[in-house]
Amino acid sequence: MQEWVEGGMVSRRVVLQALGLLGVSAVAAPFLAGGPGTASAQGNLAALQPEEKVDATLKRLFGGRPIKDGSSVIKMDLPLIAENGAVVPITVEVQSPMTPTSYVKSIYIISDHNRRPMNARFSLTPEMGAASIGANLRLNETGDVRAIAELNDGTLLMAKREVKVTVGGCGG
Amino acid sequence: MADIGKVRIRIPSSVKRGDVVRVRSLVIHPMEIIQRDKAGKPVDRNYHFINKVIVTYNGREIFQADTTQSISENPFFSFAFKPMEPGMLKITFLDTHGGKYEGTAEIKFS
Repeated sequence: MQEWVEGGMVSRRVVLQALGLLGVSAVAAPFLAGGPGTASAQGNLAALQPEEKVDATLKRLFGGRPIKDGSSVIKMDLPLIAENGAVVPITVEVQSPMTPTSYVKSIYIISDHNRRPMNARFSLTPEMGAASIGANLRLNETGDVRAIAELNDGTLLMAKREVKVTVGGCGG
Repeated sequence: MADIGKVRIRIPSSVKRGDVVRVRSLVIHPMEIIQRDKAGKPVDRNYHFINKVIVTYNGREIFQADTTQSISENPFFSFAFKPMEPGMLKITFLDTHGGKYEGTAEIKFS
């Protein structure tokens, strides 16, 4: 028998146990390796993002690199209150030139209270003309959603917004 | 779920050279989330979800997304694009079961 467990019901111990099971190999997740790996077993637990706190995610993704406040250049559009956490539309727009010498290289979407905070990474190119992306997120519970933009010179900019979630829609 | 992998792409009907247009795409996909047993332990199996989106224009890659299960069922993506010549926009979705779903849209200047 399996059941869907809502995020709030999972104790810290369970999360830690799961982390232990995933082992160190999970930390070296294939996510950032780029390119699709082998098709088999890509979706199993070892290949997924580790369950971790958002601080750990930021550390894993960006190391100790400083993240600047980018709230003046990053425009995030997402609902203040999401009635259904299973579908939360978000658009992120970074006010930046998109020329071959100066452009936004990637945009990360990280939600603090999902078990796997790393939600999506978008890799952009100057050909897009504007750094603007949109997607539908699943959010587990009320919390901040962060958008982190990485410029081609390595600068990291972050903006965040709180979203109130009435019914959680995650589980991952 | 016979509809898995159905891709829809929408672009504005009239596009001018150098305009920044918003491309919207939707793919029908379950995006399975992790199941847990009674003890709350995640069930280990090969979950079926899209983990890569690749957008090319006339064969050149212009946009890529790495996605996780934190993206909704039947995922929707939109992005800006500035076409400088007419051509074919192709969006490829790859999932964890080796599935590959493609959609194309032709961009013509008016």
